[in-house]
Amino acid sequence: MENFSSYILGGLGLAAFVIIGILILLLVNKNEKINLLARSFEKLRRSFNDLDEQAKLIVKTDLELNKAQEELDKRLGGLDALQRISRLISTTLDEAEIFSRLRQALTLHLAFEKSLILIYDDRRNLNCHVAIGIPDRNIPVFMAALENHAGVGAAMKRGNAFSSFSAPKEQRESIAHACDAEHFVVSPILSKEGIIGMIFVGNQSNAAAITQGDEEIISILTSQIGQALENARLFEQVYRSRQDLEAKIQDRTKQLESALAEVRNISKTKSDFVSAVSHELRTPLTSIKGYASILMQGKLGNIPEPVKERLGKINTHSDNLVQLINELLDISRIESGKAEMNLVPCGLSALIDSIHDLLTPQMKDKNIQFIKQVDANIPTLMLDPSQANRIFINLIGNAIKFTPQGGAISVSAKLNNDTVTVDVADTGIGISKNDIGRLFDEFYRVDNVINQNVKGTGLGLPLAKKIVEAHGGRMWVASTVNKGTTFHFTLPVNQPLKANTQDDQT
Amino acid sequence: MATHIGIGFSQDIDAQTAAKDAGFESKTNLGADRIDIAIVFSTVHYNPSQTVPVLRTVLNQAKMIGCSTAGIILSNTIETHGVAVLTISSDELAFGIGSAENLDTQDALLAGNFLARNALKDFGPRSRQAFMFFVDGKLENNSVLLKGIQDIFGSVFPVLGAGSCDDFHFANTFQIHQDNILTNAATGLIIGGQTSIGIGCCHGGRPLGKPRVIDRAEGNAIYSIDDKKASSIYEEYFGEQVDDLRSNQFDRLSILYPLGIFVDGSREYLLRNVTNIREDGSIICQGHVPEGSEVHIMIGNKDSCKQAAVQAAQDAKANLRGRKAKLVVVFESMARLKLLGRAAHEETDSIRNVFGAGIPIVGMYSNGEICPFQTVEKFKKPYLLNGTIVVWAVS
Repeated sequence: MENFSSYILGGLGLAAFVIIGILILLLVNKNEKINLLARSFEKLRRSFNDLDEQAKLIVKTDLELNKAQEELDKRLGGLDALQRISRLISTTLDEAEIFSRLRQALTLHLAFEKSLILIYDDRRNLNCHVAIGIPDRNIPVFMAALENHAGVGAAMKRGNAFSSFSAPKEQRESIAHACDAEHFVVSPILSKEGIIGMIFVGNQSNAAAITQGDEEIISILTSQIGQALENARLFEQVYRSRQDLEAKIQDRTKQLESALAEVRNISKTKSDFVSAVSHELRTPLTSIKGYASILMQGKLGNIPEPVKERLGKINTHSDNLVQLINELLDISRIESGKAEMNLVPCGLSALIDSIHDLLTPQMKDKNIQFIKQVDANIPTLMLDPSQANRIFINLIGNAIKFTPQGGAISVSAKLNNDTVTVDVADTGIGISKNDIGRLFDEFYRVDNVINQNVKGTGLGLPLAKKIVEAHGGRMWVASTVNKGTTFHFTLPVNQPLKANTQDDQT
Repeated sequence: MATHIGIGFSQDIDAQTAAKDAGFESKTNLGADRIDIAIVFSTVHYNPSQTVPVLRTVLNQAKMIGCSTAGIILSNTIETHGVAVLTISSDELAFGIGSAENLDTQDALLAGNFLARNALKDFGPRSRQAFMFFVDGKLENNSVLLKGIQDIFGSVFPVLGAGSCDDFHFANTFQIHQDNILTNAATGLIIGGQTSIGIGCCHGGRPLGKPRVIDRAEGNAIYSIDDKKASSIYEEYFGEQVDDLRSNQFDRLSILYPLGIFVDGSREYLLRNVTNIREDGSIICQGHVPEGSEVHIMIGNKDSCKQAAVQAAQDAKANLRGRKAKLVVVFESMARLKLLGRAAHEETDSIRNVFGAGIPIVGMYSNGEICPFQTVEKFKKPYLLNGTIVVWAVS
């Protein structure tokens, strides 16, 4: 029994030992797991803390990035606003309109709580042109604070901005207090003449503090405002000068118109007088010439030879007088518009040939060579043939008169676009410069040997010129003394007859 | 049976002219004699006491609500200065409007009840589709106001909303109800009738750093996170800058880095803007924060914002169940405008791509958004959100 009991006890002891051993092993294992868990937990805690430290770094970086982005956005927004404002104020030259647009642009695009634009007048007094966010009653106080502030004054003199961002605290406090804006920029408006005013922008809220970017943008804006105002003022000056000039031109035009009307009146009176006198003279002249002719023909009985000779002179002088009167009447008619040009298709070359035929004997007498050069492409012109003949007779007749023996006369015609230019040139004695200017004056005769010996009315050239003008052309002359003279005139191609009005005549 | 939509916008610097131009343009685009509802979004550059009377006259005294905003979203542009008017004339839709005032001094829950009842009184006994409201974005208890609205309409009734805001100065905002220009108020619109409304919202924010637990919170106040004062979460991340930020730029910081609350079953964290850090280190959020929930600092970037906009638009379109949208309205957090900067219009481009060209889009940047948010619950329940884009489409 004892052995059995000992055996049992021994067995129990062994079992207990084994169990204890197992328990110890389990405990050790558990401890290891606990330690492992503890290590894992510690690792996790460390990771969380590391993560948190990283998060703090991320937050700080993000905060800086946000600030940088905000500043960048602000600058980009400012530049965008500047571009818009610049476009707005540079597209007008009206000073009042510039301020109106600035008021709108400052409100919409730059969004400062308070804005003020002050401009010096001629007496160097500051005047407020734009005020945003500032009650009217506060503006004088505001202006006085800015004008009398030493720091602002010094900055203005240097052409720099004065701002809450860059100015020392003690200097900016008085502005901040007077203008009720903790954050502000004051910047001079500059033009070539110097400081013409200043701009103030400000915010009271700390959420909208002024930055360096704001200061820079306001500085750029003020130079653009200065430029725009300068342009507007220059334009105003130019505009006023132009107005003055236009007023002067109008006055002078009125004077000229008045003088012109007077000249027209005188000219008409003269034409009327010449016409009336010519008519009055021609009637008795016809009688004189008629009676002289009857006497010469001996219808009233034979007359002695000396009387006949005197009657012949009366007849010749009467003819000259009739020619003079007729030419005077023609000029008068053309000037007054009473002479009608009977335009018919007319070949220029044939017309020149007929004149050549008419004057050939005179040219032969002086052995003058006649040269005709008419472009083949000149079309048929609309001319009054009888009047056109008078032009050529006058010009070629004059040429014959002033061209010495063995000389040459050329008549050429060229087509230039819608006009034909005709030149009648001679190798005559020429005309001095002094005489050329008056050559087309009525009754003007150049003082030379030939004219002294040959009688003339002094109306031939004026009449020829009037006829050319009545056809819608013009006439001028070029001459060199002792070398020759060329008369030029133009005739229109396919052009209706130019209205022969009083204006044209003058 | 027809629904006409008209959108007008003006940037004229004269407030009355801007109101007149925007109103007339909206009426002209509406192409109908009767205006059933007018919704006005205005930046704070325009004095509402000058714009509202003009708009009331131009819009023939039609029902009108609206609010101030940091920016206006239009089909082809984003504008941070202007007045926009949306007018609707419809045989299929019905509208009722109301308002609740003095929200800063009265019980927010009761104010929510009042706002909902006020709108229902104008709406009458008709079938309801959705409730939309604009509330002063500066207020700190808008979650409670929402709860008050849900008490009347039911907890899963679609409620949409936007917090009125200004041009990032966090100072002056206003709400419009008929002739009244309000502050510390909410103005609401109930929409009903034969229509479908598709809603989508998304923010695209990502959690940053290790998860923390809100140990103690009450309403919209967080007292302790991970056994430390709540403000430590910002202090740890922003270090020495937090003092400066606390003094004058915390609003801006908060909208860029809001808190993200993990919500079971949601594909996204619930964002909460911080409106204040108190001296005792407690944090005041724009909406309710559940005690014991997991919280992160959140971060986003331009790409995540744009992806969120596409997601919200796709969700809204899917909710229309194949019907074509006639109008798309967007409420978007002003934080996103700040984050996206000059690329903000790309979000609108993405939305237009989802719905197709030619669909009129109008919207506003807000300080706080209200939208049904998917959780583990079967139905989407409206929540006050931050940093979110809410897209709602009317078919």
